[in-house]
Amino acid sequence: MKHPLLVLALIVASINLNAQDDLLDMLEAEVPTENYRVGPTWKTMKLVNLHSTSMVKKNGLDFRVTHRFGSLGEKSGGGVHNLYGLDISDDIRISFDYGITEDLQIGIGRSKFSELIDGSIKYKILAQKEKKAPITIVVFGNMAITPQKAIDTRYDDWQNRMSYFSQLIIARKFGERLSFELAPGFLYRNLVLKTTDGDGVTAEDENANISLGFGGRFMITKRFGIIMDYVYTISDYRSNFRPINYYDPFGVGIEIETGGHVFHITMTNSAGIVANNYIPNTTANWGDGGMKLGFNISRVFQF
Amino acid sequence: MKNIYTALIAILLGIGALSAQDIFMVDSSYVHFFSEATLENIEAENNKAKGLINRANSKVAFLIPIKSFEFDKALMKEHFNENYMESEKFKTATFKGQINEKINWKKSGTYVVTVTGIINVHGVEKSRTIKGKLLVKESRIRVQTKFELKLVDHNIEIPTVVFQNIAEEIDVTVDLQFSPKK
Repeated sequence: MKHPLLVLALIVASINLNAQDDLLDMLEAEVPTENYRVGPTWKTMKLVNLHSTSMVKKNGLDFRVTHRFGSLGEKSGGGVHNLYGLDISDDIRISFDYGITEDLQIGIGRSKFSELIDGSIKYKILAQKEKKAPITIVVFGNMAITPQKAIDTRYDDWQNRMSYFSQLIIARKFGERLSFELAPGFLYRNLVLKTTDGDGVTAEDENANISLGFGGRFMITKRFGIIMDYVYTISDYRSNFRPINYYDPFGVGIEIETGGHVFHITMTNSAGIVANNYIPNTTANWGDGGMKLGFNISRVFQF
Repeated sequence: MKNIYTALIAILLGIGALSAQDIFMVDSSYVHFFSEATLENIEAENNKAKGLINRANSKVAFLIPIKSFEFDKALMKEHFNENYMESEKFKTATFKGQINEKINWKKSGTYVVTVTGIINVHGVEKSRTIKGKLLVKESRIRVQTKFELKLVDHNIEIPTVVFQNIAEEIDVTVDLQFSPKK
């Protein structure tokens, strides 16, 4: 080591040459990685009952047909004589949703259940990203009107036909296969019924209901998965009033994507497809065979 | 004697400095792919490609972030990333190789070259020799190439349930402009 400077120079030179040996490593070190949005948390904008945080893409039109057959079990009105509910349609909904931007969509739909016509808006506040943003947050709101024929004076004031639902949906994609969401919601119905039971006790339904939805998806393959959701509703009337039993909607289903279409085959105890119907009016339960087979077809037209 | 060492040191340090100047980096890029399909053709563009050329040993390396491919239709982009490229897992496509021909980097002109190396798409590496054009002009280098990529080579599955028929081969066009790396 007579000439440390020479040694140093050799080392410096060799490091320099070595570094260039693997250009790809050098390139990877050089390129700043962009903070991309995490891939799609869901394949389509609804699970069984709940809305997901998924949106129609910009300039996309999502045409959906959702169908709920009748209850499966005999105790709940099903059984062999209506082929376990297949002869009955508790609800049918046809809807169109359009993506104005990547993060804003509007929609319109019509249901068989109370002939409900609903207009909705959905906006993505936050998208889950690879860094810093661990969740997706979406707000959803709708306004619905029932154009049913008036059988008494209840619709003398047309505003009694209106109901409103809003929801905050917080979702996270855990790795490749698992997604989960939490969805607190607020339902307001202008018209609620007063009911008297056999003992002459009168109970009045609530105009406002707070609910909490839980939803999840597990992908088995890239195009096939299991979906599930549950909506808990806070309601004194529903927990205490007995002539009618109310239950929380619980749905399970399978999801199949074919590139353009998303199919769901579902089983749920809720008859209504829209929250304005299924939150206040789910009167069937799984225990009594009140689950209904259903399906959902979504076709996206991209303009 | 001392002077010789000093000179040697200067030369060696100089080699280091010189070779740094031999590295060229992409400052503008265009990558395009096209796939013919029965229902509608699939194509996308990417302007986020990066690359390096080392003039000293004619080695090259390129990197393309998959999520930066832009499609006309957003749903196509989602399917491309989620179903075909699995870009959450395989974030980039890369190529590293060696230019086979001798290039006089000092002389402006267009050189038709072949580059042999390893292409990595969808996490699957494949050894390839790709033909391209090299345009050298003063302190700039431009690389242009067009090649085919077989989906089967890179384990990219075409599902049988997909209604649209997707071609087994993808045409890739690359146009990269390089300037000396700072």
